Amino acid sequence: MHPTIRRVFNAQQSGLILVILLLGAILTIFAGSHVDRMTGRSVNNFLNFYTLTQTATDASFFAIMAVGATMVIISGGIDLSVGSIYALAGTTMAMALRSWQFSNPFVTVLAALILCLGIGLLCGLANGVMVVGLRVHPFIITLGTMWVFRGIAFVTSKAESILVPDALTNVVKTTFGSDSALYPVPMLVMILVTALGAIYLSRTVMGRHIYAIGGNAEASRYSGLRLGRILIGVYALSGLTAGIAAYVGISYYGSATCGDATGYELYVIASAVVGGASLSGGKGSAINAMLGAILIVLIRQAIRQLHFDQNYEWIIIGSAIVIAVVLDQLNARLTLKRLTKG
Amino acid sequence: MNRLGKVFIALGCVAALAVASSFAQAKKTIKIALIAKSSTNPVFLSARTGAEAAAKELSAKYNIDIVIDWRTPPTEDGQVQAQRIAQAVNEGDDAIIMSCSDAAKVNGAINDAAARGVPVMTFDSDAPQSKRFAFYGVDDVGSGEQVMSELAKQLGGNGKVAILAGNQNAPNLRKRADGVRKEAAKYPGIQIVGTFYHIETPQDGAAEVVRVMNAYPDITGWAMIGGWPLFTKTLLTDLDPAKVKVVAVDALPAELPYVEKGIAPVLLAQPTYMWGHVCVEKVIDKVYLKKDVPTITRMELVRVTKENLGTWARQLKEWGFADVPEEYLKLP
Repeated sequence: MHPTIRRVFNAQQSGLILVILLLGAILTIFAGSHVDRMTGRSVNNFLNFYTLTQTATDASFFAIMAVGATMVIISGGIDLSVGSIYALAGTTMAMALRSWQFSNPFVTVLAALILCLGIGLLCGLANGVMVVGLRVHPFIITLGTMWVFRGIAFVTSKAESILVPDALTNVVKTTFGSDSALYPVPMLVMILVTALGAIYLSRTVMGRHIYAIGGNAEASRYSGLRLGRILIGVYALSGLTAGIAAYVGISYYGSATCGDATGYELYVIASAVVGGASLSGGKGSAINAMLGAILIVLIRQAIRQLHFDQNYEWIIIGSAIVIAVVLDQLNARLTLKRLTKG
Repeated sequence: MNRLGKVFIALGCVAALAVASSFAQAKKTIKIALIAKSSTNPVFLSARTGAEAAAKELSAKYNIDIVIDWRTPPTEDGQVQAQRIAQAVNEGDDAIIMSCSDAAKVNGAINDAAARGVPVMTFDSDAPQSKRFAFYGVDDVGSGEQVMSELAKQLGGNGKVAILAGNQNAPNLRKRADGVRKEAAKYPGIQIVGTFYHIETPQDGAAEVVRVMNAYPDITGWAMIGGWPLFTKTLLTDLDPAKVKVVAVDALPAELPYVEKGIAPVLLAQPTYMWGHVCVEKVIDKVYLKKDVPTITRMELVRVTKENLGTWARQLKEWGFADVPEEYLKLP
């Protein structure tokens, strides 16, 4: 086999891509078609630009957060607070913009971006500082901040659903001159964040340090790595990606509430895990996390498009996660066995 | 032309005739997406029953095929509802009927659907700033006022009242809570101790009532703008009808024992079955019959008390509720 092809097929994500393509093919064949009321042409219910873009958009909010969460998981930790950071960043941004009332759309968009990302970063920093400083397991710290951040969002927003200025929605729902209901920006942001995450993890010293800590924290300490600083950075990045997801999601849907992204932390962690991240640390990738998010959203899509009873959604997603992890562990064991024999 | 050619021509003619006749006989299909707030809330299951019944009736009446495409999320989430609207449009649904968990979140998706030629009608909880073509539901402020007015009568115009208000993001519930407070202001002897929000499940609603009762033991009345906790049996034993009175919106089968035991002497029923039924009728009026549909159609609340418990129970049974207690069906 040609080395390039072998490299591609040996890559971690090839299995995920294969499953996504297979599911896509099943959906294309079995989801049926309908007549487009605008053009009068028959359109496949799955394989059309609208559905594909919408699927990518739905996945983007999880996927962006999953890139940051994957870094935390690689470092051997966990971040349960990403959904709440999303809500807090979103409601704070919406309230601030409502009171500031900028007349210039550019200033509005810029201020919103700085606020959302800034709050995400601050919340992540707070998580990191507490995990390192208090020496409490990150599960406990982020479980606590999950409630604290959402509680702050609840109290400050008075549980209102706050509309954001049109300038934000216009940016995130820009069509680049295409058909009026195709909005590719969330998908593009997802790809950009994933690419940056992948480069950071695989091509920078800081990224390799995260793997080192997750793989063996003690060995990393003895080799002179500053564990505390690296861990704080990892949680800060997780908060930052939650802030980015909040900016994109809230601008896309046009409003923010304290209830936003409730339960998303589980989808985010599931995306990372389905993407092959090991909860014991040292293993994972940003690209795989994005593919994991796409796979989960595709499974949800399949349940509806193939007319399964949607009440089975949670059972199917839960089972898919368990199967994915079991298969991944099986693969790891087989690889280890092969290497040992070799 | 050889024999084989003639056979092919004959077969071709038969196939063409068959295709033409199938087209002539093919019924027009109208697919209506139904997106309620949550598929675990029984009121929306009854709306689905109503929609499916209307689809069956109107399919027979107009010789068309009306299909209800149930796309309700398992839990309340405005963002997921917006995604479901986009999916319904992408998959060729002809119309959408929905109850909005968070109007601000779904405005954009409703407008996109309308721009792509898919009309959207709302019920129960409206999105008035969107391009939905119609709304069917109660006057929310008015129903809140009615709840408080009935409760004030039960309390003789005096007492401490708590408001149970469900999801704080739902605009219809906020308006109902406003209505309760507005009406309460008319009674100098009534004091509102607070408005209490909770996840809209029976268990969460009941737990919230118990928590609040522990914190404020002197509460004498509950103004429930939705009947969530009364779907459980907990409050049948936890509330003493001699000390506390409840007036709630909704009167589904599980809530009827509260009327019988006097804990909830009055329930203000939303005929939730009609949400689905009326919306399908209106959608067919607009999409198939090309009629004008009024923007707002008001639903009237039905006052359920011990006096009409039997009549109401039989009505619920007729609407397809399988769990109506037998003893209430036998009442006069």
